Amino acid sequence: MNVAVLKTKAEQALSEAFSGAAAELPGSSEIRKLRLDAMGRFGALGLPHRRVEEWKYTDLRNLVKEVLPAPAASKGVSVADIEAALGALAGLEAHRVVFVDGRYEPDLSALVANEDVSAASLATLLDNDTSAVELLDVSGRDDDAVLALNTAYAADGSVVDIAPLATLDKPVLLVFVRASETPAFVAVRNVLRVGEGAIATVIEAHVTLPKAARDFQLNAATKVIVGKGAKLGHVKVALEAGGGVHLSNWLTELGPDADYAGFHFTASTGLARNQVAVTFAGEDARIDLSGAFLAREGQHIDTTLVVDHAVPKCVSRELFKGVLEDHARGVFQGKVIVRPDAQKTDGKQMAQVLMLSPDCEFDSKPELEIYADDVVCGHGSTSADIDDDLVFYCRSRGIPEAEARALLIESFIGEALEKVEHEGLRDALGELAHNWLRRIEPARSVA
Amino acid sequence: MPAVQETIEQVRKIDVDQYKYGFETKIDTVKAPKGLSEDIVRFISEKKGEPAWMLEWRLEAYRRWVNMTEPTWAKVDYPKIDFNDLYYYAAPKSTEGPKSLDEVDPELLATYEKLGIPLREREVLAGVQGARVAVDAVFDSVSVVTTFKDELKKAGVIFCSMSEAVREHPELIKKYLGSVVPQGDNFYAALNAAVFSDGSFVYVPEGVRCPMELSTYFRINEKQTGQFERTLIIAEKGSYVSYLEGCTAPMRDEHQLHAAVVELIALDDAEIKYSTVQNWYPGDKNGKGGIYNFVTKRGDCRGDRSKISWTQVETGSAITWKYPSCILRGNESRGEFYSIAVSNGWQQVDSGTKMIHLGKNSSSRIISKGIAAGHSQNTYRGLVSAHRKATGARNFTNCDSLLIGDKCGAHTVPYIEAKNNTAHFEHEATTSKISDDTLFYCRQRGLSQEEAVALVVNGFVRDVLQQLPMEFMAETQKLIGISLEGSVG
Repeated sequence: MNVAVLKTKAEQALSEAFSGAAAELPGSSEIRKLRLDAMGRFGALGLPHRRVEEWKYTDLRNLVKEVLPAPAASKGVSVADIEAALGALAGLEAHRVVFVDGRYEPDLSALVANEDVSAASLATLLDNDTSAVELLDVSGRDDDAVLALNTAYAADGSVVDIAPLATLDKPVLLVFVRASETPAFVAVRNVLRVGEGAIATVIEAHVTLPKAARDFQLNAATKVIVGKGAKLGHVKVALEAGGGVHLSNWLTELGPDADYAGFHFTASTGLARNQVAVTFAGEDARIDLSGAFLAREGQHIDTTLVVDHAVPKCVSRELFKGVLEDHARGVFQGKVIVRPDAQKTDGKQMAQVLMLSPDCEFDSKPELEIYADDVVCGHGSTSADIDDDLVFYCRSRGIPEAEARALLIESFIGEALEKVEHEGLRDALGELAHNWLRRIEPARSVA
Repeated sequence: MPAVQETIEQVRKIDVDQYKYGFETKIDTVKAPKGLSEDIVRFISEKKGEPAWMLEWRLEAYRRWVNMTEPTWAKVDYPKIDFNDLYYYAAPKSTEGPKSLDEVDPELLATYEKLGIPLREREVLAGVQGARVAVDAVFDSVSVVTTFKDELKKAGVIFCSMSEAVREHPELIKKYLGSVVPQGDNFYAALNAAVFSDGSFVYVPEGVRCPMELSTYFRINEKQTGQFERTLIIAEKGSYVSYLEGCTAPMRDEHQLHAAVVELIALDDAEIKYSTVQNWYPGDKNGKGGIYNFVTKRGDCRGDRSKISWTQVETGSAITWKYPSCILRGNESRGEFYSIAVSNGWQQVDSGTKMIHLGKNSSSRIISKGIAAGHSQNTYRGLVSAHRKATGARNFTNCDSLLIGDKCGAHTVPYIEAKNNTAHFEHEATTSKISDDTLFYCRQRGLSQEEAVALVVNGFVRDVLQQLPMEFMAETQKLIGISLEGSVG
């Protein structure tokens, strides 16, 4: 049944706004064409809705009613503002690269480019480098409307290159600060390229300044290419305050023998969708995807993973833990695909959620799609309230109920946080979780 | 374990892709004209001598069906079905008019005997196992005979064909038909509602424990016909009934459609146990022919503390698309689903269940074992959901898949939706092949490779087999052996 799809107001606005914005966006004519094609794809697909299987539980057509304009230039953001917004993450010693409302701010950044690492602005590369078209290219993922929108609109982002065999002394911290006092739509595209045998940690932190408008729309995508034998720890910390929409997309490709540990810490407000797609391109590679999501009030946090075992002998592990309060909604969709020749695959997936209020909701879809026989794959999903016996045990040891519950939740989340290898970062995330549970600001980075 | 030895022998003596129920009965039949239209719906209704309200109900379903599109979300792949190239009604000539067992065409009786289903009550009584099972035998579009009716009547249990129920018990049919699976529920359910030809009707009155197992044996015989039966089981307060269903079909090059609807209704404290051994013709070793089994099965635990349990052993059909579900409406109601789906050759299975928790403290359990061999694709698709008001809902799901060979696929697509925090949901699934260590251990003890596989597989599916009524257990263990034949080495 082919009926002409009626465009929603938001879809129309996105298409219309593009013709105006296109001239302002960086890039040569070739890149402009790529953007135009992407916009065409978006036009055909529209905003994903519940009839699209991957978006069954996060109906963007319904949740995004209108489109926000591009941000006005924010002036007077200081390093101190950013430190305050980063909260527990501020103390982290790192190569800091700062973006304010999606625009690179060299003055606020602290990265000494050296032979091991460089972080260039995507906007600059797109304008000056003819080969930069590949940074925006996401061919093979043509059915993702949100990603198409990102390709069309991405104005800036960080292109991080880690040299072969380099071992970074400290993590690269990409800070995305929301400062615009008027509601704004921002699209960011990052690219992480880790050379053969290199070892690095890259953190993406999304924070908000106190003066920023409540409403926002972020569409961020990160392309990750991990070279042969390289090891990358990749962490995203979403702490935005307000009531906006945070759409994130990681596209990771692993070379042979590579090791990738991805982690999502999400305690932002509003709607968040964390999408990760991992493709194994070489044998003997390993991924460890994990995360913690904390939601209360009317928040909606969606984690959607696709792990594609396209080659033999790779290992994948996923562990996601969530805490839901009030009428928050958590979504977990994990799909593990084992292609016909991907023998000796070892995949395990687990999603666990604590539901602390009668009104919260958790929807889970841990999916296995297996075409090879010599594999071991498993998945699990659990959801329940805190075990009363455990609370009773703590109380019998003299711990007040509220504290007992907080302790139990913390240890529950702690299991996921353990996956973060960088010690300083792990501690910082622990502190953020601790503060969130006890409703201590600035858990959400409001100074 | 003697059963295992039996399986091993069964495996040994049967050749690759041997389907022993593949014979065809030569018998004169009356068919409806080919194709589907309102006239065909009228034709079927008239053949059955149905009252006007029943015809109207069918026509409404047909009108809805015309505007529906075929579902494509299942993980199965098949050429588009031409719904106008089918016969929607075929009945052996001899079954027209009133009949007693003695009047039934001996050919038909012989068919059922060949299938191992004795229809003469005295033969059943003389059976080796001594277990008595009342049988409703459905041949293409009509019910041939229903046994033990009189004895069941004494207990107050109504067990008859659907056509008879429409004539004899219209008040029950009007009240319950379509109350679990409405006419427009889905594409195939709507098709079934429009053209359903026969099936079984069971009514167990309040407080009665059905004195024997009830069963229906479905047989497709005619070429180019589809079978569209409809089963309705109502268990009144405090009653109990166990129902078995078996199905076979001749071997043919063409695909045949089987689109059934089963509705179960359990009122307060009632229990329905529904077991299926599905052995439709699966097609030959090149994937030619076989039954398309597109079935809607749903149970409604309408009363408090009611229980519905589905057990299925799926070995046949070219394509299976079925999700026996439970709507757990009553407080403290319970739903169970035990399934073994074995696919071989080019079979495609997309099956699972839905447990919809609406009542307080309702609980459900899902045990699903999928075994994929040859070039087959075997998918478990299931939904577990707890409504906001279904406090204290509990579910445990375990779905395991076993792959034999490197050309097959096993998939798991569970949907888990918890809408309140007192719901306690656990889901686990694993996929693996039979481990080399296990096989080595068995071989070291003197078993051949095939014996070892049969042993491991039987162990793997034991949880489910144990849920089957005794009469079926021995039979299904043999089935497992047959379906896996040829998958090793």
